[in-house]
Amino acid sequence: MSAPSFASYIVKRPLLKRWMQPLANWYTDAAGYRKLGLKFDDLIPEESVNVQKAIKRLPSKEAYDRVFRIRRAFQCSISHTLLPANEQTKPEEDVEYLSPIIREIEKEVKEREDLDNLVVRK
Amino acid sequence: MLSRSSLSRNAPRALAAGRRSMASAANPAFQYDVTEASGVKVANREVEGPTGTLALVAKAGSRYQPFPGFSDALERFAFKTTLKRSALRITRETELLGGEISSTHSRENLVLRTKFLAKDLPYFTELLAEVAGQTKFADHELNEVVSKLLKYKQQIVHSNPETVAIDAAHGVAFHRGLGASITPSQTSPFEKYVSGDALAEFAQNAYAKSNVALVASGPNSAELSKWVGQFFKDLPTGNASSQYKVLPTVATQYFGGEQRIASKTGNAVVIAFPGSSAFSTAGYKPEASVLAALLGGESTIKWTPGFSLLSQATKGFSQLRVNTENNAYSDAGLFTVTLSGQADQVGAASKNVVDALKKAAAGEVASEDIKKAVALAKFRALESVQTLETGLEATGSGLVHGNKPYQINEIAQALEKVSEQQVKEVAKTFLSGKATLVSVGDVFQLPYAEDLGLTV
Repeated sequence: MSAPSFASYIVKRPLLKRWMQPLANWYTDAAGYRKLGLKFDDLIPEESVNVQKAIKRLPSKEAYDRVFRIRRAFQCSISHTLLPANEQTKPEEDVEYLSPIIREIEKEVKEREDLDNLVVRK
Repeated sequence: MLSRSSLSRNAPRALAAGRRSMASAANPAFQYDVTEASGVKVANREVEGPTGTLALVAKAGSRYQPFPGFSDALERFAFKTTLKRSALRITRETELLGGEISSTHSRENLVLRTKFLAKDLPYFTELLAEVAGQTKFADHELNEVVSKLLKYKQQIVHSNPETVAIDAAHGVAFHRGLGASITPSQTSPFEKYVSGDALAEFAQNAYAKSNVALVASGPNSAELSKWVGQFFKDLPTGNASSQYKVLPTVATQYFGGEQRIASKTGNAVVIAFPGSSAFSTAGYKPEASVLAALLGGESTIKWTPGFSLLSQATKGFSQLRVNTENNAYSDAGLFTVTLSGQADQVGAASKNVVDALKKAAAGEVASEDIKKAVALAKFRALESVQTLETGLEATGSGLVHGNKPYQINEIAQALEKVSEQQVKEVAKTFLSGKATLVSVGDVFQLPYAEDLGLTV
């Protein structure tokens, strides 16, 4: 899904996490997608079977909102503008809504592969 | 590779517990011995052999569903992903053990059935408990699997005029309750009621301890109650205040009437009367099943029309199928004569049905034929109890509905006692009371109740 990261390593260590958090907040904000009204999960590349399936499994309201955010961001990008501050994504709104479903699907796929390659020992 | 699976966890346990002695003497009794293990009723028939069958019968058929389509959806959610393992894993493990799992539902019951090699009893007991208590009811599984399967089922039902007619006859005869469609029709807007959460709540009540019975054939009784006691102790107790509860039993009332459904898939006519309820209930009338055998329509022997009145009367129709049946339920029954085939022949033969009934009511039937009908009715009743396919559900249904379990000798005695007079009487009440008539197909050619001389 994404490039290798140290995130899980850092999150597991409270001290390290406390140091890194402000840096991470600054970095995410600087990435700029929130200024276009997007959430991080909107940036996951759609061109894979698993992600396509995950998008199909979204509740209808979330699927609608996702398309709305992407279209709005597209318009902003074309017109070289940013959204007014009150419409930009707030950090507390930037939650994972798609990744848990993708992880679940990846788990299903992995289980199927494992079961397909099962060796029965008696 | 896989981590320690429940398969490998169960295998040694099954081996350790599964030693059984060989059969010492043939056991002619087909009686189920009924016990209770951790609050769940268990009926078991010890049959020495290499395989076993275990079924879970829940009082959650279409009669008890709170909204249309719930029984169907719950049936198709059986053996799907649970909190412990995925549907795929259940399938693969069952394949490796060489077992068979299936689920069906009737108007009154939902049946989850497993068949397995005798040593795998613990695995399948655990599986049934898991399906009943811990199925996930994920929304995406409903959309991706269950609703598609349900659509195919609807197509199967729709494409057979006979099943459409029988279903409509129940609706006309009983309205709600027993009259609810066993599978929602293709045009019914049932999807708006069905969702994962609603089904999960319904399942809590449908698989509540007081609402299910386990019926087994094959395993050792002590062993079975040990495993049931262990795995079924966490079964839900149900939530009676829920909107999606199992509907309470309302005494069934017979209404009767006529319905005509235009269809391009074929022609069927169902002529129905209030019949006999299941054995050991208040409305049990053995003479109704004798009359069903007497009217008949289908021969039990090859290359001969048989003795039954309808097969004799419809000998000349080559494109016609006639079948008489008493559909018995826990507190009512529906006596149905089903005709299907070419429209003109179905129309002509429906008159023969009424004529045959009139003959039976007037007592113009040879006493030899009645004797044959009694013998056939007795054979059918006993066979349905003895055969696993029907016997498991009948036994479980008796347990969850609070009736006494089937007693073979009592059924046989009740049927033997039926006299010619009783058969005459029941035919008379059919003709004098309100009938149910359903015509499906080319309604231009199919008869009205008026034409047949039936009151609806």
